[in-house]
Amino acid sequence: MNNLAYKRETFRDDYTYRNSPAAIRRFPFPFAEDHYMYSVNIEQHQPGAPGSIVEHAFDIDEHYVSECKDKLLTLAQDKGRYAALPHMMDAQWDFLELTMESLARDYPQLFTLTKDVDHWTWRNRPLEIEDSFIFGDASTLPLEPFDYMGRQVQGDFVLLDQREGTLFADAGFITSQADWSLAFDIGMSWHEWHGPVPQVEKMGIMDRALKFLMSLQQGSPVRRLNWTMTINPRLDTSPEHFPEWGPDKLTVTPQNAGEKAHLRVELQSMFRLPRSNAILFSIRCYLISLEELATYPRWAKRFHRVLKDLHPDLLEYKGIKVYHEAVLAWLSQHDDGAEIAAGTHPG
Amino acid sequence: MSALKVIVSAIEQVADGICHFTFAAADGGELPGFSGGSHVVVSMPAHNRTYRNAYSLLSSPADRRNYQIAVRLQEQSRGGSRFMHEQVKVGSRLDISWPVNLFPISRVGHKHILVAGGIGITPFMSQVHELLRTGADFELHYAFRSPQYAGFIDQLQQLLGKNLICHDQSQRQVLDLQALLSQQPLGTHVYVCGPAGMVDALLSTAYELGWPDAHVHHEEFLAPPIGEPFTLRLKQSGKSVEVGAEVSMLEAMEAAGVDAPYLCRGGACGRCELEVLATDGVIEHHDHYLSDAEKGSGKKIMPCVSRAKCSFIELNL
Amino acid sequence: MQHGYWIRSKPVYHSLSWQHRAQAHVLVANGEAGRSIVRLLHQRLPDQPITVLYHPTQEADYSKSLVSLAGENLHVFKRESELWHRFEQILQQSVMGTRLYAAGNEYFLWQATTLAASHGVLSGDVMREQASSLARSVYCVHCKTISHRVTTNIAICTGCQRHLLVRDHFSRRLGAYMGLMIDAEEPGNVPEAEEVYP
Repeated sequence: MNNLAYKRETFRDDYTYRNSPAAIRRFPFPFAEDHYMYSVNIEQHQPGAPGSIVEHAFDIDEHYVSECKDKLLTLAQDKGRYAALPHMMDAQWDFLELTMESLARDYPQLFTLTKDVDHWTWRNRPLEIEDSFIFGDASTLPLEPFDYMGRQVQGDFVLLDQREGTLFADAGFITSQADWSLAFDIGMSWHEWHGPVPQVEKMGIMDRALKFLMSLQQGSPVRRLNWTMTINPRLDTSPEHFPEWGPDKLTVTPQNAGEKAHLRVELQSMFRLPRSNAILFSIRCYLISLEELATYPRWAKRFHRVLKDLHPDLLEYKGIKVYHEAVLAWLSQHDDGAEIAAGTHPG
Repeated sequence: MSALKVIVSAIEQVADGICHFTFAAADGGELPGFSGGSHVVVSMPAHNRTYRNAYSLLSSPADRRNYQIAVRLQEQSRGGSRFMHEQVKVGSRLDISWPVNLFPISRVGHKHILVAGGIGITPFMSQVHELLRTGADFELHYAFRSPQYAGFIDQLQQLLGKNLICHDQSQRQVLDLQALLSQQPLGTHVYVCGPAGMVDALLSTAYELGWPDAHVHHEEFLAPPIGEPFTLRLKQSGKSVEVGAEVSMLEAMEAAGVDAPYLCRGGACGRCELEVLATDGVIEHHDHYLSDAEKGSGKKIMPCVSRAKCSFIELNL
Repeated sequence: MQHGYWIRSKPVYHSLSWQHRAQAHVLVANGEAGRSIVRLLHQRLPDQPITVLYHPTQEADYSKSLVSLAGENLHVFKRESELWHRFEQILQQSVMGTRLYAAGNEYFLWQATTLAASHGVLSGDVMREQASSLARSVYCVHCKTISHRVTTNIAICTGCQRHLLVRDHFSRRLGAYMGLMIDAEEPGNVPEAEEVYP
């Protein structure tokens, strides 16, 4: 995807965000079976099929420019969406290095990084950014290194410091979160941070995920998919701005659900960082309306079945309860009850 | 797992029985960065088996052209240190793991006391570079039998000046742990690597003085998960696979062309779980996935990390 | 319990007890929690020096009992800010092995912990006993104001006047629970508040 036509679109107010047919086709539909169970489902984050969302370490797609613009709007309203505790400066540079090197390698027509020992020059063509700086000297960048690159990569990012037998969320760049607050959660340990996750604790999944991440190795990043739903294609579904987007949840009807209700899939990828020994937790959000999803009938059928028997705790946790009936009504028109083979593929 | 290909660019005898190896990337490029206290696992292909030993990285983390390790010739070498001393030459090619850090400096600590005994100095070599770079408050206490056993002493003196405190046992300079640990300001962390007696003495002194555990760090070297060889019988395919001492069950199956499921290869995801039908020995569970009850039942195994102490184990595959 | 699931970020507190392996002991307490310190001073005392910093409140003043037990090791402060100032001085001069004990309402406990953390003391190094009221400090996620002494499951934010649902999600750094606007979806639809944190 080196010659992207960037869509000019909005993730708020008039909500002009749409997916092109190509973007729908590569959408990371997460349900391989008709019943959903929470699981760790971790796999190696190795380069995937050309054109897929996992072809590269960080996926840049047709929404890149508009999404970066939306990040700036969110930050302007609430600067608490970026925060880094003082001991995370090495991790900040690690993040800058990883993202710059990855983007320059994977999208050479869009991004260029030139290095003369510690003198680096970064060029981001889509966003028209060019800066020269000294690697390791934050005073030579217009922003802190994590803030600087957090604005130039789609998705949210958390930097986790590993100590005292756990991981601490000690820095974050969070503008498209599924209802959690960085300003509130920063500095929390793994289990405090995931405190509100339902059911899951009983099964010890968070303990296993923590153990696994603590032994994550450099050079062997991993990924998993997570999902929820969002009404209107809104990236900033933060608790901070809940009064702005909360009322939208009550506007869903069986008639408009196809347009308003969106499946929100997060590609979470995790990298061990070199200098800081910290872990980068990257959360990339993909949004698709039910209408777009129904372009592929097996997706609509499957999603209908998944939602129909989702555990009440998960409905509550994901905030779906209030519009659950309306969404099921819309989806049921697309479900003839015929059996679908296992797998997440579109057609 | 992905390995780094390196070429040995220098070998130097630095102290009695201790050799210092310098590695460069085989492709001539940069090696991955790392944090102070990291080690790599070096694969040593001897004629009939591969040894895998972990060695601390000694070089400055800022130096991406070279890695350096020190190898002491072990009296009772299983073969690894002897192989390094006798078989490896300048120009030899080796596979090493990516750097792993099980002995990091606490980034929230306000002061750091590093305590090394003899060859235990090695993990501190990269740490002092990191501490100097970040401007942290620290001191290194280095205890050794006599100056000829004090590897890196000149380099350390040059780097650290008065922040290096030597305890030369041949000069009857004893490291007084009680005095050292009873006068440190709140927020101090202590790190120790050296002979077991020294580590134990430090841990118990800190404990008696009321140091919280989270402020006391010691190097725990990651031993490769080796065991004893055994035979794997696969019920469905009727195949028989020999599992060597230093390969995992999963690796052995893959080498034998068996299509076994896996995802994380780290004992976490549960994807490679297999059903145990029979064994004449005991399963050695190393995974984080199975519950204690499941492990106790002896019916399940995660072949990516676990193995068995037995002559045979039969799986439903 | 909220929505039928347990939230793990909510701290669990225990009764204070002496840590006999130590170099010194520093205790901080306010109001009703003076009673916890009195109880502790009735137990077998450790061999090392003890310092007690106490801020009596309008609700409770255990100064008299404490002075008879702790004598000149007791320092009573009229203002809480004075107590924190003295605590900070002590932290600066203390050595590793100094055991820290805090007793008070929840916000007080985490103020002590946060102050100690600025001196490199880890959260787990401080012993905490929640005494007296279960009242919560509530952080408004919308306007970032912390409202104190909340005893109900729904509270009005002292900063933006929104009705907040008091969640079980707790931030140790802020010493407060998360408060989220309860009628955001349906403005004006506010259930009756119940006193659940007396």
